[in-house]
Amino acid sequence: MKFRAKIVDAACLNQFTRVSNMIAKLAKTCTLRISPNKLNFILSDKLASGGVSMWCELEQENFFSEFQMEGVSAENNEIYLELTSENLSRALKTTQNARSLKIKLTNKHFPCLTISVELLSVSSSSRIVTHDIPITIIPRRLWKDLQEPSVPDSDVSIYLPVLKTMRSVVEKMKNISSHLIIEANLNGDLNLKIETELVCITTHFKDLGNPPLASENTSQNRNPEEMAEVHIDIKKLLQFLAGQQVNPTKAICNIVNNRIVHFDLLHEDVSLQYFIPALS
Amino acid sequence: NPAMLKCVMNGSQVKVFGKAIQALSRVSDELWLDPSEKGLALRSMNSSRSAYGCVLFSPVFFQHYQWSTSMKMNDNDRAFNLNCKLGMKSILPIFRCLTSLERNVEKCKIFTSSDECKIVIQFFCRHGIKRTHNVCFQESQPLQVIFEKNMCTNTLMIQPRLLAEAIVLFTSSQEEVTLAVTPLNFCLKSSSEDSMDLTNSVYSEMSFGPDEFDFFQIGLDTEITFCFKELKGMLTFSEAIHVPISIHFDFPGKPMALSVDDMLLEANFILATLADDPSRASSPQSLCLSQTRKRSDMIRSNSKADKSGTSQTPECISRKSAPKRLYPREAATKNSAGENCGSPQRKKASGDNIFEVPESIVSDTEEGPGSPYLRKFSCMFFGAVSSDQQEHFNRPLDSLAIASDSD
Repeated sequence: MKFRAKIVDAACLNQFTRVSNMIAKLAKTCTLRISPNKLNFILSDKLASGGVSMWCELEQENFFSEFQMEGVSAENNEIYLELTSENLSRALKTTQNARSLKIKLTNKHFPCLTISVELLSVSSSSRIVTHDIPITIIPRRLWKDLQEPSVPDSDVSIYLPVLKTMRSVVEKMKNISSHLIIEANLNGDLNLKIETELVCITTHFKDLGNPPLASENTSQNRNPEEMAEVHIDIKKLLQFLAGQQVNPTKAICNIVNNRIVHFDLLHEDVSLQYFIPALS
Repeated sequence: NPAMLKCVMNGSQVKVFGKAIQALSRVSDELWLDPSEKGLALRSMNSSRSAYGCVLFSPVFFQHYQWSTSMKMNDNDRAFNLNCKLGMKSILPIFRCLTSLERNVEKCKIFTSSDECKIVIQFFCRHGIKRTHNVCFQESQPLQVIFEKNMCTNTLMIQPRLLAEAIVLFTSSQEEVTLAVTPLNFCLKSSSEDSMDLTNSVYSEMSFGPDEFDFFQIGLDTEITFCFKELKGMLTFSEAIHVPISIHFDFPGKPMALSVDDMLLEANFILATLADDPSRASSPQSLCLSQTRKRSDMIRSNSKADKSGTSQTPECISRKSAPKRLYPREAATKNSAGENCGSPQRKKASGDNIFEVPESIVSDTEEGPGSPYLRKFSCMFFGAVSSDQQEHFNRPLDSLAIASDSD
């Protein structure tokens, strides 16, 4: 198994840093899948995360000027490793004045992802910073649980409002109730509702627009005003929203009535899918 | 007459004073206020005696500075200093919000007298507001540390901001950090003590070239490990007063010094370093007299670096000399020039600040340009003083403190 990659472009480096910051906010521990064309950050530990799963994908050639990998075997040319997300984002903290970044799979007493940053300091001499992040290699027999989740046939698909607004609303709601109802219809309406014995609060977002439907049949018969809803843990929604520091290029919410809510985001060239299941 | 202290500061001086207290709070929960003719020293020592901090404010730092010892009649007719020990918990909150203190305080008066066992801190603020704090103190003779930082083989001086960029790498959970130097390279890295056990901790390393330093002199390739917290404390202080930070060290096990020196104040943190595996032969070879000359050269060039202030031209004196050892005992007895300084024991009793900064010997205007001969002797003397404590320094993480007479 081998992996070495290099980023020399400042914009790519910043974007990569932003992605790692986002992942650190979304998942404490995650899986990094390295394949010849892509890098994926995966959270699929249904038990530990309470059913939440995440699939983040980026095309390696959009970031790396050099990219070499050799998977477990020729037929299985992939590497799956597990790491503590915060270790990666912290290692990338020093990249403001970086000239280049190298990532390598190494074995220093135990397997590591070694991050080497060449910094240009004020005195115009370069400085090298190295971080050895301990990782665990995930054996092939567990790979089947870490595959791209299938996008469910949703009842409603809607564009999300500005995430920062959504976040501040949910932030306030969190103090009142531990679970929240997210509902939307094909008329561009999205509501966030909390209900307790004493109070009922709903925030209405209107005229959001709905993306073109994947299959004409399923929604032809659907009343555009009819809401599809899911009861979810408010903390999970908040964690998802907190991870989005920048407003995405595209943000879609897919709701399967009483089953699951699926967020489909695009941050420039990085795609993020986040699934929050209904509370049982 | 009781021992007393009275000093007055303006808003910006209060800010620096407060920053010094904050830096010392990283060392321990206790603070000594120790006035002398050299100025007001703030001292702190941690409970495990592995870290000592001292910030000496020269009399000219203050708008007004007045102090006196008490003249208590006893057998020895000794003068007693103000032996004032304060709890950090009491004094730190008084110097909180330093930016607003700097803006609002027109004058700050600190005064005390030992017969009352309290210090009074008065802030005369804008709009006629006066704030008074009475803080009780405990009578306790300050602990002091003798450390000959200019006798160290390795000396570095760097702008604090550059070092602060490296500090960002390390998580606050890491207690210790290792500094590794060669004449061509400086490297700050996670202490390797921890990373073997905790397979979840990141190992980080940052290398600097000698040209990033204002002064870079390495006489001994070495790696020393010390507590991170105190380095951060001194770095923050150094950044606040815009003065470069100096690091003086030798081999593992021997204490190291972090210092910040400007015309008005001098701050020193003396930290214990982790000793090497004792089974390893780490005893340096003996020092021959010719090295004494090299030592004074280093001090002279060191003081040049200081005198030129923010000298941007890096002085890369790198030389692979034999590992030095503290001066042999015999030197102590031969010393005649050091007579005024007296024996260490007597010095403490007179309340002098035995934490002498060797630079002061060279840059002290009373001495004039000073003959190299005199300088050499002074260096030898201080080496001799330290050599009395040689056993202390060679033992791992041993107590740095030399207890004062009363203990």
